[in-house]
Amino acid sequence: MSESWSFSGDLSRVWLLVALGLGGASLLLLVAEILGRPRKSVNAFFVGLTGVFALGFLLLAVLRPVRVFERSSSVGARLVVLADASRSIDLPADGAEARRAVENRALAALREHFSQVRSTQLAFGRGPPVPLEGKDVLRQPMLGSDLTRALEALAQGTDELPQALVVVSDGRLDSPTAEAIEGPLRAAMGGLSVPIHTVSLTSREPRDAAIRSVRLAGAVVAHQAARLEVEVGCTGGLACGEVRVSVKELHLGEPAVERAAGVVQVVEGRGSVPLAITLDRAGRRILEVALSAPDGDSIPENNRRFVTVDVARDRVRLLHVAGRPTYDVRSLRTWLKSDASVDVVAFFILRTRTDDVVAAQEELALIPFPVDELFTKHLQSFDAVVLQDFDAEPYGLSIHLRRLADYVRQGGGLIMVGGPNAFVSGNYAQTALAEVLPVGLRGISDKQAVDSVGFVPQLTRAGRRAPVFEPLKGLVGEHWPEMPGTNVVGDAREGSTVLLEHPRRRTESEAPMPVLALGEYGSGRSIALTVDGSHLLQFSAFASESGGRAHGAFWDAMLGWLMRDPRFEPAVVELPRGCIAGLPTTLQLRALFAEPGAEAEVTIERMGGGAKAKQVHVAFSNAEAPQPVDVGTLEAGGYTATVRLARQASSAPSRHDFACEVGGDEWADPRPDVARLAAIAKATGGLAVTPEAIRTLPLPSATRVVAERRVQPWLPAWCWTALAALAMGFHWVARRRSGFA
Amino acid sequence: MSPRARAFGEAGAFNPRLLVTGTRDLERRRKTAPGRWSLEVVGRTSAPARLTPTVVRADAPELLAEPFAVWAGGKAPEPLSSREIKGLRRFLALGGILFVDEFEPSDGSFLSGAKEQLVRVLPDASPIAIGDDNVVFRSFYMLRAAAGRVQKETKLQAIVRGGVTQVIFSPNDLMGALARDAGGVHPFEATPGGDAQREQAIRLAVNIAMYVLCSNYKDDQVHAPFLMRRRGSESP
Repeated sequence: MSESWSFSGDLSRVWLLVALGLGGASLLLLVAEILGRPRKSVNAFFVGLTGVFALGFLLLAVLRPVRVFERSSSVGARLVVLADASRSIDLPADGAEARRAVENRALAALREHFSQVRSTQLAFGRGPPVPLEGKDVLRQPMLGSDLTRALEALAQGTDELPQALVVVSDGRLDSPTAEAIEGPLRAAMGGLSVPIHTVSLTSREPRDAAIRSVRLAGAVVAHQAARLEVEVGCTGGLACGEVRVSVKELHLGEPAVERAAGVVQVVEGRGSVPLAITLDRAGRRILEVALSAPDGDSIPENNRRFVTVDVARDRVRLLHVAGRPTYDVRSLRTWLKSDASVDVVAFFILRTRTDDVVAAQEELALIPFPVDELFTKHLQSFDAVVLQDFDAEPYGLSIHLRRLADYVRQGGGLIMVGGPNAFVSGNYAQTALAEVLPVGLRGISDKQAVDSVGFVPQLTRAGRRAPVFEPLKGLVGEHWPEMPGTNVVGDAREGSTVLLEHPRRRTESEAPMPVLALGEYGSGRSIALTVDGSHLLQFSAFASESGGRAHGAFWDAMLGWLMRDPRFEPAVVELPRGCIAGLPTTLQLRALFAEPGAEAEVTIERMGGGAKAKQVHVAFSNAEAPQPVDVGTLEAGGYTATVRLARQASSAPSRHDFACEVGGDEWADPRPDVARLAAIAKATGGLAVTPEAIRTLPLPSATRVVAERRVQPWLPAWCWTALAALAMGFHWVARRRSGFA
Repeated sequence: MSPRARAFGEAGAFNPRLLVTGTRDLERRRKTAPGRWSLEVVGRTSAPARLTPTVVRADAPELLAEPFAVWAGGKAPEPLSSREIKGLRRFLALGGILFVDEFEPSDGSFLSGAKEQLVRVLPDASPIAIGDDNVVFRSFYMLRAAAGRVQKETKLQAIVRGGVTQVIFSPNDLMGALARDAGGVHPFEATPGGDAQREQAIRLAVNIAMYVLCSNYKDDQVHAPFLMRRRGSESP
């Protein structure tokens, strides 16, 4: 217990100063009064003495001084060490040693040096810092290296504020940037005004050629040329000169397709080249951007980047080919033309070779069907192709079916709509296109190719649960109008989804014959509709119940599913932590319209070779909540995650394309940034040191913590008042006797 | 193509159904016109058509079974009943197309009466003249004028709603030009152009059928340069 005293136990510092100031001023007035008199005498001295006493006691009566008794202890200062846990710490430091090893040594040295203070070691990457796992930095790197966000979290946290911070990093930070350090630091730290000491892991630049960045100018729109700027950097004295770069688009089950190539002139360690690329398929596309590095490159992993590009669609560009004009063709065309988001190019066969038009050619408004031009030169410019009641044989389409199949495999969409000239009757059986369709066509003779008996299609279990049928069900429920017959098709292909089936017809395997089936083929999708009566959803007594809107709802969903509209995907896949090659990857899976206890089968396939990398079964404990799915470690490359809800009666699969990189942005520039760390230390009053100089860092002073405090007045307040009154009285008497006013 | 296949594909086939309102029925000789119309469509184009077209009442639910009907007559039609108005309104609201033909162009009382009745069905729409710039005149043949049994007008009239030609008025007795009995004899003479005029009338009928089946297909941009060249090469 320590004892001290204080002028006052209850007055604030301001009132204390006011009281002392008034007392001092009164004393000066008294002195001035005495010195101003013409004759100095003993009486004047006596008046001055009593005046000083009177003022003193008056002040003491106002302040009422106290004795203070305190019980306190000294506590070691709190210090927080922020260790860079980003991917860049796996780059080489000096020699063959990785920066991670240097960082672990530095953390150990810091623990030893600051053993007298309460130090906490945290890892920072993207978001708030997290505790280290054990004594070393995290084994799985974090995404990004955002120091300002980590400081912000510390300053705003509920924990005790530290007296000092130590940042251990290579200086290659996302934030603060090299250009602006002090402002962002001050903004992040707010009221936390403490020094930040920095420990740089290395100062050596590796000999390396790398793709620094791949930038896209604006949004990428399907079928339109986009400008891609590839920046290359060479460090550590590696002589690069001219470096060739190439851009390839990755496909599932297909070799990568080179979209652009160029040469970068590297001057003073950096250079860039603009490249024009045109991507035909909308949605998420994976590009591989690679450079040919010169000899001596020490980090080959950053010579290749996998870039995810979200290709927007200005409008869905659709080729509508019909074998003959019918009410079904009319309805589909009317809907397609009414949808502003669809750019439809239509070709209908209006005249066959046997028709007698009774007119000269120039009296006709007919143009030749440019089948060769459409299915060679222009095919890739379409997002989807609709073949409606179209016979491939007489119009020269047969020779292009292989190309059409390849088009779907590379991401195009295909819808085959029924009619007397569709499916087997349209000469598609045993062609390359038959493999693309979600239903089989083998073993069906020409005589069996159509069934003219009317029927009402029935929704399958998958159809009742499929998001793609939700808009239609909202209008007409689960009912369909009677169809006037159907093309005969075989079993649904493996992996296909049957949404409508025939109530009586059976396939060879005795399964109900599919009427509407959806399927995946390579990177593309296909739909088979075996009836030619969907117009009855638009114009019929049945259709009038919904004002004819059911037809639009049906085809909007069909086209939407074909174009991978998220509204119609039964499951959504995300990668919240990205994918780093060689490290465990976790997908986040969310199922829509999932039944309780639904299971999902997640298949990860590598683009290019199409090798199945992983297959994982997931059980949904809560169908509404996102479900984490561990898919293990993956190599660098492009991947497709296909999700199929297993208990949804073969629901349509959902796809998510993603890329795995070894280093990503963190390895794009492997140079350490010692200057940035020094600037951070300088801006906050800290020191910038190397791991070897950690012992030179100052220890923050200890904090005194008061456990008990007691205040006791020297005298009761009335005593001070009485003494002041007595002193004032003496002074008054002295003044009267000495002739003072 | 097997017969079964033909039956399967007929659901969407062109069917010039005769619309009956009130108590009036078609004149016997013109009853062959819809069948002839279908036959010409089948013979000249790839489109399927019902060779024995049906008759449908304006107040019957069957009116909504298909999106085309022909309303024709030679005398002013009886006022439409409320059920008939409702039926026609639903038919047109769903996108149906109505072809209105005048049997007596010299009198014109049916056409004017039909227009009066259709104002009750579509109060906010009125007919406008359509000529060779309308897609109906180039949906299969390149036509410069509307033809029929007589040549009263070179243009048709139409009610266009939302850019879609929904009601077509023919003042030239198109059905009279199409009518042909079982012996192959045309019961009505085409005047003043004779067989050439009848051929133009048949071509107009084919164009209307193709418009009903393909909508405005020939308005697509892909056809525009070709059709402009062909129009340019025609004699004025």
